[in-house]
Amino acid sequence: MNSEKKSQIKEKYSIFLVLLLMIVLCTCFNRNFMSPDNIPNIMKQLAVATILAYGEMLLIISGMLDLSSGAVLALSGVFSVYVYKGTDSLLLAFLVAIFIAVACNIVNAIMVTNFKTPPFIATLAMQMAARGIALLFTNGQNIPQLGRYTVFGQGSIGPVPISILFIVVITIVIWYILRHTRLGRSLYAIGGNEEAAIASGISVNRNKYIVFIINGVLVGIAGVLFMSRVNAGLPNGAVGYEMEGLTAAIVGGTSFSGGVGTTMGTFAGALIIGCLNNIMNLTGVNSYVQQIVKGTIIALAVIWDIYSKNKKTTKVILVENEKEKEWNEEKSSGSIA
Amino acid sequence: MKKKVVAVLLSCALASTLLAGCGSSTINGGEGKKKDAKYKVAYVARAQTDSFAAWFANEMRIASEKYDDISIDVFDGQADDEKENAAIENAITNKYDAIIVQPNNVEAQRPYVEKIVQSGIIAVATNGWDQPTEGVSTVDADPYKQAAVNAQLALEQVPQNAKVVVLNGPSGHFHSEKRREAWQKEFFDKRPDVQIVGEQIANWNKDEAVQYMEDWVTSNDKIDAIISMNDNMAAGALEVVLGKEQYKDILSYGVDGTVEACLLIEEGKMTSTCLQSAIDLAELNLETVHKLLEGEEKQIETNIEEILITKENAAEYVKMYKEKGLLKE
Repeated sequence: MNSEKKSQIKEKYSIFLVLLLMIVLCTCFNRNFMSPDNIPNIMKQLAVATILAYGEMLLIISGMLDLSSGAVLALSGVFSVYVYKGTDSLLLAFLVAIFIAVACNIVNAIMVTNFKTPPFIATLAMQMAARGIALLFTNGQNIPQLGRYTVFGQGSIGPVPISILFIVVITIVIWYILRHTRLGRSLYAIGGNEEAAIASGISVNRNKYIVFIINGVLVGIAGVLFMSRVNAGLPNGAVGYEMEGLTAAIVGGTSFSGGVGTTMGTFAGALIIGCLNNIMNLTGVNSYVQQIVKGTIIALAVIWDIYSKNKKTTKVILVENEKEKEWNEEKSSGSIA
Repeated sequence: MKKKVVAVLLSCALASTLLAGCGSSTINGGEGKKKDAKYKVAYVARAQTDSFAAWFANEMRIASEKYDDISIDVFDGQADDEKENAAIENAITNKYDAIIVQPNNVEAQRPYVEKIVQSGIIAVATNGWDQPTEGVSTVDADPYKQAAVNAQLALEQVPQNAKVVVLNGPSGHFHSEKRREAWQKEFFDKRPDVQIVGEQIANWNKDEAVQYMEDWVTSNDKIDAIISMNDNMAAGALEVVLGKEQYKDILSYGVDGTVEACLLIEEGKMTSTCLQSAIDLAELNLETVHKLLEGEEKQIETNIEEILITKENAAEYVKMYKEKGLLKE
């Protein structure tokens, strides 16, 4: 195996090695970490952030991001709860959450593609508007006691919690989209170099609309899971959850410069953050220290991203220089006309 | 161009659909504005995103409607000291006759509340002022007593050698710290046998409390009681253990007397809470400010009553919430 291939493998699987190391360390720190109760516990806690992280990952790969996902989650969640309370229909409530979140994301897409607003600004505006609408709609009050609605976030099929099934299905779908569809390839191309993507005939605006709509569906599902998990419609809930999603995506190797990121990397990133939160709670680490640790991890992940990118760029330049040198030598020796 | 017009129309349609949905469902929409009112009062709320503060702001508008000579404007501090201070400064500039402040952080708002007094405007601090200040009237609920009534009940109820978890409000928040202090002095100092197996700041939030409780349940063989500085967090922690045989006797204490807590107590799932009635607090605020505006008194310091809600009287408060339209049948 040559050194290039070795470094590729190292790069591809390093996040999983970090995860493995972390699981080993956590198990050493606390005997309950690997207990049969704690594994589904971590996965349930991760569900909302992981689903949001997939949406963020798709957007970041295509050179955008979403700062409104926490607020849109709250908006779609409270509307969904309201509809459930009024109709007693789980299906309708679920669809309403998705409809609201997709509607908000279409507005984001319109601002980004048609009005060329930077995604940061467009989604920041949506964050404020969506939170405001959720608070106005409920008058700032929680909607308590959701009855059967809690099945999404608290129920299970056999021994498997429903929220874990959501993660599994969504992970497979997102993985398939990125790896095996034209849309997936287009997103990487758009994020890597938008002008080159346009030149190669990719419909950039259409793809951006699609990725925002997918993000909307994910945020809507996360809204239902979040509200059913806490058994209430919380208009002021999920504050800062977009950051949880972004953190998981970045820690999982999605590059903020676009064009780079994988589903399994993001899943591993979410697991790392989830395990970290869990072990800190199990061992009773102070809230302030928890924030410092999480901040440090994000900083390290970004430094790693920049460092590995610089290394790759340097390697490309060195290889190109080498080739140029060889070519010049061959030219001067007369083997090339 | 055509595409852009379609895009604009589509965004407007989506926005109006969402807003139309909201408009028809607003609860307690009283604005408290009267064109020819004699007195203009500004109420600077801590944050409209905090469910208690939002309820309180609504009740302030409703309470103001009983006074023909008072018109009230509500401003949102957005849980940010800088924004709350700016709102106070703007109210001073706009020459309101009285300014009521619900502090986000007493120390940060103190100089600005003192500015109100220096400007010759009537200053009232409500729901979280820590010490008497010259010229500043206070209308409050005593956070120490609110937690203490629960702690005194817990003294009798919590079993020997119990393991408990504690959920705190935001650090530096006056009510959060005073409530925790009351639990320390009135309960933990008197019950050295009780062991705290988990204590975290859940920022008054239900979702954060759910996550902490899930981890505590995993790392401890038993938990006998949930001691929470508000009802939201107590309800979140309870959500994790409800329906589990092992935790059927778990005790849980909160503060605020929210709709959800009253329902849980009525159903026998939660142990007790102390009512911090936004309705009483708002009515007392308007009564106080009216007396000050009419010159009946120069400075007033008053508190609402601390009412302990347990299974015995919870139904009474559930009924009250239904009558107020805060709980639908």
